[in-house]
Amino acid sequence: MLRLIDIHKTYKVGPEEVEVLKGISMTIEKGELFAIIGPSGSGKSTLMNTMGLLDKPTSGSYFIEDTQITYDDDRVISTLRNRKIGFVFQSYNLLPRKTAIENVGIPLVYRGLKKNEIKEQSMEYLKRVEMDKWANYKPNELSGGQQQRVAIARALVGNPAIILADEPTGALDTQTGQEILTFFKQLNEKEGITFVIITHDPDIARQCKRMAELRDGVITDRQRKVDR
Amino acid sequence: MMLRININEALESLSSAKQRTVLALIGIIIGIGSVIGMISIGEIVKNQALKQFEDMGINIITVSKDYDSPNKMVTFPLSGTLALGKHVPGIASVAPYIVSGTQFSHGSKNAFIDMLGVTQSFFDICKLTVREGRLISDLDSYRYFCIIGSDFADSLQKSGTKNVLGSDFKFGKRIYTVIGVINKVSEGGGMLPGGLNKGVITHITTASRSFEERGINTFLARLKKIQPVPVLQRELNHYFGAKQRGLTIKVSTAEQLIEGMGKQMRLFTLLLGAIGSISLIVGGVGVMNVMLVSVTERRKEIGIRRALGAQQSDIQSQFIIESVTLCLAGGIIGILLGITVSYIFAYFAKWDFIVSYAAILLGVGVSTAVGVFSGFYPAREAARVDPITALRGE
Repeated sequence: MLRLIDIHKTYKVGPEEVEVLKGISMTIEKGELFAIIGPSGSGKSTLMNTMGLLDKPTSGSYFIEDTQITYDDDRVISTLRNRKIGFVFQSYNLLPRKTAIENVGIPLVYRGLKKNEIKEQSMEYLKRVEMDKWANYKPNELSGGQQQRVAIARALVGNPAIILADEPTGALDTQTGQEILTFFKQLNEKEGITFVIITHDPDIARQCKRMAELRDGVITDRQRKVDR
Repeated sequence: MMLRININEALESLSSAKQRTVLALIGIIIGIGSVIGMISIGEIVKNQALKQFEDMGINIITVSKDYDSPNKMVTFPLSGTLALGKHVPGIASVAPYIVSGTQFSHGSKNAFIDMLGVTQSFFDICKLTVREGRLISDLDSYRYFCIIGSDFADSLQKSGTKNVLGSDFKFGKRIYTVIGVINKVSEGGGMLPGGLNKGVITHITTASRSFEERGINTFLARLKKIQPVPVLQRELNHYFGAKQRGLTIKVSTAEQLIEGMGKQMRLFTLLLGAIGSISLIVGGVGVMNVMLVSVTERRKEIGIRRALGAQQSDIQSQFIIESVTLCLAGGIIGILLGITVSYIFAYFAKWDFIVSYAAILLGVGVSTAVGVFSGFYPAREAARVDPITALRGE
């Protein structure tokens, strides 16, 4: 499903070059619930941005569903991002001026779907995250947990190959965070949706099927199977 | 599809920053408004001038004394001028006239008005028609009868003269009896002597006896068919040169007048174009500024949209459409403003109001172009926003 081979990423900070990812190789299979854990500064955000096609590695190969990614055409990359990747962010990143249902529909807008199709499908996904009653509310009228549910619906709506979640519970209290995680687990088990969750919280990582630990740009703890 | 979503998007985002939007619009509104207003006024003026030719026909010429002629005192002889039709082929009829400014006192009112001395043929050539009473005929020679313009008649009625017709008024040193009122004529830019609506007309023989200025300096003539100016000029100079030593003439045709008006209009348009362009450039810079602020403010939104699959070109077109929407809104308000201004102008000048569709089209086109032009750079900046830094920054 996702395969990274010897991914390096170097940033230029002033005159110095900082290597953030130092040769990452990993494979994530379809239907996995995969955690990437690591302290801040370990390079996990850069890894996620690379996986999510927002960032371009300095060297190495990256395959999504056996297609090697080439980074020279924005249209191709954007289309892949639109169709294959669903993002869930720590700070939800909903557009404040838009209602819940409009936010959910944005990925479909960029697929060129018709207005009523977008509305129909968005509503369906809002139902799946149990937010259909809140369809016409704006983000600032919703609680943190509710906003994150809307964001999840938005990540799911395009039926992507993989959901990338960057600290999805980071802005939530423990109980709400756990609800979100449980929801991820349900989606993973019942519908076989593939998740990669980036977190610094070992409790969350422990609940995933598999995890890898990132430290200073290298994977130190090899993708062990989590006992459950 | 994308377009409609983008337009909705643009309207939403513009209305969320109302104050800024309105301020940016002012420049565009004034720019478009002034251009449209001026073009419309120009059209109204042109229409008005052409209307006179429509009334009179364009086979009319004005023949006037050349003031550079060797003998400055000489004027057209009345009988010789009237006999012109018999001697010069191509002339159908002639209408010599004398114009003189005259003092008019009535009750406490004192005014300086234009008095005209004409022959019967004048009414036919100028297509003047009677509103009340009758016109001056050649049988009214040497009699102190007059007809008055419609505006003059109305003002007399307002100031208390119940029956204008048949009343006596003193113009200059003589008393005239009003025998008719003529219908309103369209004035300005044409062949007619000015001030007919506010003026007084008597017979030319009466005029030659009582006016301060008694010589005939100008006459109108109707041609049988349109002829080139040099031919007419040569024939008429030949005719009058034999009659009156030292008299040379100048001919102006309707065609010449229309052409001259066209030249003036082009100059006018060029000037307006320049003024309009400057204000539109200033307006465009204002819009560009607003768009740049908007891009900076919405970096996060751009990052989110990019993460959700928006291509650079999607972001770019979103901002260009926003800028075009902004400018079009300003353009439409400007068009309405310009038309209103020209309407007010036409109303006070008592001229026919017309809406210039070319001007509206131009306004829409120009404001779209300004929108694209001033939206292009900000939109490109928006498309180049790095989604990672945009998403990271709060």
